Amino acid sequence: MHDEIDPRSPVPLYEQIAARVRVAVAAEEYRAGDALPSVRQLSSTLRVNPSTVVQAYRDLERDGFVETRHGAGTYVRAVAAEVREEERIRRARELVRKLLAEAARFGIGAAEIGRALAEETGVASHE
Amino acid sequence: MSEAIEVRGLSYRAGRSFELRDVSLTVPRGSIYGFLGPNGAGKTTTIRVLLGMTRRDGGDVRLLGHSIPGELPGALARIGYVPERPHVYPSLTVADALRCHAAFHHRWDGVWAEQLRRQFELPLDRRVGRLSKGESGKLLMLLALAQRPELLILDEPTDGLDPMVRRDVLTALLDYVSETGATVFISSHLVHELERMCSWVGVLDHGRMVAELPIDVLKSGIKKIRLTDTPVNGHHPPFEVLSRGRDAFETETWVVRGWSDPMVQYFDTAGATVREVVDLDLEEVFVELLRSGREVTS
Repeated sequence: MHDEIDPRSPVPLYEQIAARVRVAVAAEEYRAGDALPSVRQLSSTLRVNPSTVVQAYRDLERDGFVETRHGAGTYVRAVAAEVREEERIRRARELVRKLLAEAARFGIGAAEIGRALAEETGVASHE
Repeated sequence: MSEAIEVRGLSYRAGRSFELRDVSLTVPRGSIYGFLGPNGAGKTTTIRVLLGMTRRDGGDVRLLGHSIPGELPGALARIGYVPERPHVYPSLTVADALRCHAAFHHRWDGVWAEQLRRQFELPLDRRVGRLSKGESGKLLMLLALAQRPELLILDEPTDGLDPMVRRDVLTALLDYVSETGATVFISSHLVHELERMCSWVGVLDHGRMVAELPIDVLKSGIKKIRLTDTPVNGHHPPFEVLSRGRDAFETETWVVRGWSDPMVQYFDTAGATVREVVDLDLEEVFVELLRSGREVTS
């Protein structure tokens, strides 16, 4: 899952890493008590600066997604269903914003995107 | 605490063709500092001057608080160096090279050196001169790491290595950094490789520093803007235009610094439409910085 960071993006790498973990928690890919990779492990796998991983984990801890047990690593905390839901909604908005920006380049408006979305998901459009 | 590397007003001249002019750089402790520049920019010369191997004409150099060249021995004991070209005698075997380095460095970690040697698959009895380019690159990194330095100065440590070896070498380096918090000063023209790792970037071109910034700052404000219709001149843009031209599809394209989204307004009033605001990767930022730096000086 951690291959998904994009060094090209203007979003700082620590934010990308933190966001990736939040999404995994929201999707229940990570559950309470699961261990995150160690800073050392993750920085080697992603080939990023260890301080980038430290910063990501610190932000996740501040937001209540993980807890650091001293000397033992970083663990996923129990996260309320509403928080997971919020995270999914946030992610959905991000995806839509990206989609609309891309569409705008081709002069495609929100109505056309809406129709295409309805078709693709098999929801009948009301016209 | 002092910075890991502090250079002020460094100058060096070799004949007429090449000089380092007023080079200043600051490498904070614990940072991974990417020292970028095209071939021939003076990166290796700068590093040689830092390490007291080439005598400078002016300026101040401090490494880990030691003034150079006066306190060179004290500094070198705490610094691991990977030179651009192998500096180990070709007639030594790998085992000899390890013993030789162990004798010179009082913090040498023999256990870890052996572990890395196995991991890097370096045969003990192979002569250094007979190692492949990849093996040689791994040996040099091993020698620099096993002395457990507080500062690593790496001159193109992965140049010419294949992607697998490059990955092995960088993984070992990052592993060491996470364990110890050591500072890394790494020169390269392989910009992509540094993009993920660096917290700071310094750019050298024609012997002069063009930029020195935290990487997030460097990348966040620079954008490529694709437009339909060329804006009417006369308005002063709220951003700095680094270059303007046409892309492969003949679309008007500007590269700007200091961009934020509300500035789209500027194009609206100037009679143009912003089609797209594209993020640049470090390599593109690098190219743009060199280009604008050269325009200013010429």
